[in-house]
Amino acid sequence: MQITRVETTPRSGDGLRDVRGDVVRRHLSADYGIQLTAVRSIVGFLISSDIAPERISQRADDLFADPIIEYSLTNQTFLQSKDIFTELPDAVVSVGFKPGVTDNPGKAALDGFRTIFPDAHQESDISTYITYSFYGLDGQTTPEFIAANLYNNLIERAEISTAEMCQNGEWPMIDYPIRPPQEFKQPAHIDLEIADNELIEISETGLLALNLTEMQAIQTHYRNDSVRNARRAIGIVEDRPTDVELECLAQTWSEHCKHKIFASKIHHKDLETGEESTVDSIFKTHIMNPTHDMQKEVDWLLSVFHDNSGVIAWDDEWSVCMKAETHNSPSALDPYGGAMTGIVGVNRDILGTGLGARPIANTDVFCFGPPDWQGDIPDNLFHPSRVLRGVHSGVRVGGNESGIPTINGAIVFDERYLGKPLVYCGTVGLMPRKLPDGRESHVKTPTAGDIVYMVGGRVGYDGIHGATFSSLELTEESPSSAVQIGDPITQKKMVDMLLEARDAGLITCITDNGAGGLSSSIGEMAEYTNGCRIDLAKVPLKQPGLSPWEILVSESQERMTVAIKSEDIAEFEHLAALHEVEATAVAEFTSTGMFHVQFNDATVAYLPIEFLHDGVPQLELESEWSPPQHEPFIAPAEYDHNQILLDLLARPNIASKETWVRQYDHEVIAQTAVKPFVGVERDGPADAGVIAPIYGNPRGLVVSCGIAPRYSDIDAGAMAAAAIDEAVRNAVCVGVNVDKIAGLDNFCWPDPIQSEKTPDGKFKLAQLVRANRELERVCRAYRLPCVSGKDSMKNDYGKGPNKISIPPTLLFSLFGDHPDVRNTATSDFKHSGDKVYLVGESFDELGASEVSFMLRESSKARGIGGKVPSLSNPEKLFNSYRLLSSSINSGLVKTAHDCSEGGIGITLAEMCIGGRIGATIDLDGTGDCPLWSKLWGESLGRIVVAVSPQNEAAFLQSMSGCITTYLGVVEDSDTLTISDGFEPLVSIRIPELVQSWQGTLDMNGGEL
Amino acid sequence: MYIPKVAVLFGFGINCDHETAAVFDMVGGNSTRVHLNSFISGSDSLDNYDILAVPGGFSFGDHLGSGRLMGNRMRFSLRDELTKFIAAGKPIIGICNGFQVLVKTGLLPGPGGNVPDFVQRASLTLNDSGRYEDRWVSLEFNQYSNCIWTKGMSRIDCPVRHGEGKYVMPDRENLTKLAANNQIAVRYIDPDSTDADPDVVLPFPKSPNGSMMNIAGISDNTGLVFGLMPHPEAIYAQWLHPDYTRGTAPVTASDIEWEGQGLQIFRNAVEYVIANN
Repeated sequence: MQITRVETTPRSGDGLRDVRGDVVRRHLSADYGIQLTAVRSIVGFLISSDIAPERISQRADDLFADPIIEYSLTNQTFLQSKDIFTELPDAVVSVGFKPGVTDNPGKAALDGFRTIFPDAHQESDISTYITYSFYGLDGQTTPEFIAANLYNNLIERAEISTAEMCQNGEWPMIDYPIRPPQEFKQPAHIDLEIADNELIEISETGLLALNLTEMQAIQTHYRNDSVRNARRAIGIVEDRPTDVELECLAQTWSEHCKHKIFASKIHHKDLETGEESTVDSIFKTHIMNPTHDMQKEVDWLLSVFHDNSGVIAWDDEWSVCMKAETHNSPSALDPYGGAMTGIVGVNRDILGTGLGARPIANTDVFCFGPPDWQGDIPDNLFHPSRVLRGVHSGVRVGGNESGIPTINGAIVFDERYLGKPLVYCGTVGLMPRKLPDGRESHVKTPTAGDIVYMVGGRVGYDGIHGATFSSLELTEESPSSAVQIGDPITQKKMVDMLLEARDAGLITCITDNGAGGLSSSIGEMAEYTNGCRIDLAKVPLKQPGLSPWEILVSESQERMTVAIKSEDIAEFEHLAALHEVEATAVAEFTSTGMFHVQFNDATVAYLPIEFLHDGVPQLELESEWSPPQHEPFIAPAEYDHNQILLDLLARPNIASKETWVRQYDHEVIAQTAVKPFVGVERDGPADAGVIAPIYGNPRGLVVSCGIAPRYSDIDAGAMAAAAIDEAVRNAVCVGVNVDKIAGLDNFCWPDPIQSEKTPDGKFKLAQLVRANRELERVCRAYRLPCVSGKDSMKNDYGKGPNKISIPPTLLFSLFGDHPDVRNTATSDFKHSGDKVYLVGESFDELGASEVSFMLRESSKARGIGGKVPSLSNPEKLFNSYRLLSSSINSGLVKTAHDCSEGGIGITLAEMCIGGRIGATIDLDGTGDCPLWSKLWGESLGRIVVAVSPQNEAAFLQSMSGCITTYLGVVEDSDTLTISDGFEPLVSIRIPELVQSWQGTLDMNGGEL
Repeated sequence: MYIPKVAVLFGFGINCDHETAAVFDMVGGNSTRVHLNSFISGSDSLDNYDILAVPGGFSFGDHLGSGRLMGNRMRFSLRDELTKFIAAGKPIIGICNGFQVLVKTGLLPGPGGNVPDFVQRASLTLNDSGRYEDRWVSLEFNQYSNCIWTKGMSRIDCPVRHGEGKYVMPDRENLTKLAANNQIAVRYIDPDSTDADPDVVLPFPKSPNGSMMNIAGISDNTGLVFGLMPHPEAIYAQWLHPDYTRGTAPVTASDIEWEGQGLQIFRNAVEYVIANN
């Protein structure tokens, strides 16, 4: 094998440009104000193969370069070529991957290489790099600073040439990355008959994330005589665990997999009311029980909680499922790779639901530090603008390349997300109620004797300890092996293949390989038949030398675990070959009661299924609530509501996210009826996504979300209620069928366990208790079952005084039925003369409002305290939602927009922006509260609607019994005018609103 | 009546295969999603079909240039089958990634005549904006084109969803010839302007990518092979139009009351096959 270098660079000339370089130039300008005259790019390929360089060179333009638009060069660098790189650069940065990191362009190049050189050696491989040369660099910006923005040293390496080196012709040369050999280690036997502090040490040094009680439970297991006898009989060390077993238990028992905090016994004290009580599992009490109660009353809750996503019957033919996940820690360390594995990972949850569902829509909700942050950045973390760019681009590539439309989402900003960004990725799936062979698709049907395949990618060193790592706080020493880059094309091929296998009736059980790898995927499925036997030696590896425990727990991406009846093996393998998908039989289901792992003939793990899944001791935790004290928000004496409106519109939390969202494909599969942007210029905000997934059929599905982390500063209970109400409001605005809605609860919390490093753990746990109590109350009132959910409980950075904890954050996602996508409403004002109404009423609830945060930041107000929006009578609100949705479904209402951040003022501004049309509004009568609350307050349950004059009477009649207040009229003008009775408040031109709203998050650095 | 059989290619990251198959079925075709490898291995044959559609997607992740690797597989492994298909006068459409594939295989714009030489003459490259975007554009079809796919069509709205849709043909002579031959079947237009010079590149976002001569799609010399970056299948129904919620989405004269403007392209090919069968 020899290494051949091929480089390509864009040709210049009439109509041709180096777009890749230009994007870097504009981003440096947008994010840091660095003005360069030009940036040029070179893409490099390092080919390790037995094919001679001369042969490769002859075919370079058939594969590596597109001869119409690119030059190619073999075994030289363009930087030396005076013909093509005529001008001497001021700096050059070349970035390549570290050994073992997923290199998707390299992988694709290798595939193309084999098409052209079918005779190339089996072990040929290709690695890629990219080189940027910079022109017009001023003296203040160092090449190192620029380089730091172009690569992430956890997964990439960079070579830099300074101006002086450029003058001397010393060019950066990225070399072929050679993986350090992996040393295969026979399973170690770990003595647990040691002191407690040593048990803890084993857990900490091994990144096991197990506490003392859990280590002791494991210790006790190996003291049991019958356990020892069984182990002796099978030929494994009898009185202590192997490293394979300990790692397997650590993964299975991790907070990430077992949700130990949600399952814990909590002693809760409320110092405000004097209440003392015990909650035996928040999950069972507040989430599962209400849903199970609702399951008794409706026939469409097909599968809740136990599978990879919750499934509801949509109609007689189809069922729908949804799941949302977070990928916070990996996204903090590598925003691009972390977010990409987040989105493609949750896609696999859908593929792994029942006997396999087709992913049909994605949702993405991010929480970041402020994009214009000027303060310090914690060690090892990135500036929020870089996190935003990286996460966005990971999700964009992951979603777009998978061919799944992103139809809904949100981006939230708060300083505390500097320490840990939140990256929520959700996916909706569709499956036929029954497969051609008559089986119900939401029910897995494995039996002992079924053969278990690992399908898709291979297992590598990457992704070891993801589950346990995400159960620990982030530190500067967080391991790079927990970071991966996704490979959407490998996954897409696998999805295509497995859905064909499903329809052919070949699959009896399927689940994804996410956290905990094979140990979790096969381990969980083995519960169905009560046993399995795995041979790790059969597992295909990315590189030889992985030790058994590493193979078992590695979370390498793009893998599904699939069970097949032995008689169907040949057909299944044939299908895999057609699709060029790797599928390897690695295990079989048994009914022995044992999780039995071998490496060839040697048994390396032998754990009772029951102990593996139910052996983890219940945590007991302390919770104590006392309301946080805040300086109250008092409106400033001097103010200009016009300016407040413009300033609020420019707040990152409110500003248009169009730059980012438009880069997601939101309408692949040809089903998206209400897109993320609506209105005359197609740039007004949509409240929810609406899709019609069956071709030629207008029956629809609605997908929406709600998130309100600011309110946690006052009461996390109110935060949860607000998130749920927002998700429902948003869905109502497009006309969801309120009798068939289902929710997903995704909690992201700071560590709520009282300890030395978390002295306020009791309070944080009390926040969790309050949030869940509100979740139950509101969901019951809205007849809204939670069918799936997830929690991420260690969202902190660092320790001691510099610790940053995120505000407790619940993302509530909703999916529901829509009777006919031809009758929806959108937020943009439609016609002059339309009458504007407010459904719902405003209260004096400015506590933790966006306007209070804004005015505190600019020192115009002293605090954010006060009454936070709450739901005093959700049953009554739900009735108004039902009636409004019906009015939309019957075609009476074509315009509706919910009131959230920034209150009615912002809602009306957005409706004018969408319609590029003015309105005259009077807030008199919208609530018995001060004017600031009416205009900027964020009281829940409010929706602004507009109806045509001819439908006005019918609309009012259909809303009878609900608080519906006349606000004013849409006018053929370019001005939004708001008054409160005779007091004028706002009068502002629509183009000004557009400019404020669209400027903040544009971040493109100029168009061209 | 004869029901034309349509092969809708999929595999390796193509992802608009389901809707592309659906739209052919809506207009009287009988579509089958066929994995590219089924043709290469010989387990299925292009001979069994009347129409070939290469749908949108991200074949091989667009690495090494969009459509390149898929194009190479077809260029090196399906050369004879494709030559035969074209010689038989059977229509081919490439949409988005499928267009990129047809350009990179050299089937578009092609050498002239009906014998492909598999030589690439143009390219589709990164949008001038540097961004992948999903946005709606207005298209105008060439009245003088012999393209059977676009017959009788004038203007429609369509989404584009690409990062590499800028049509370039650095050889100006070839480009001029392409225009003179009326092979520029469809261009981006400014819907509000009637007298703009079609050859002057429209500003972003009216031209979403900066294509030379505002080219959105081209056909080969015979008018049977057609490729375009925008997605006509994504406006098969009026409710998919962004103006639908405002009550201003364009309607069609079709018997299908909800039919969107894009469906006619697929009906044209199906009717062409029926008429010539």
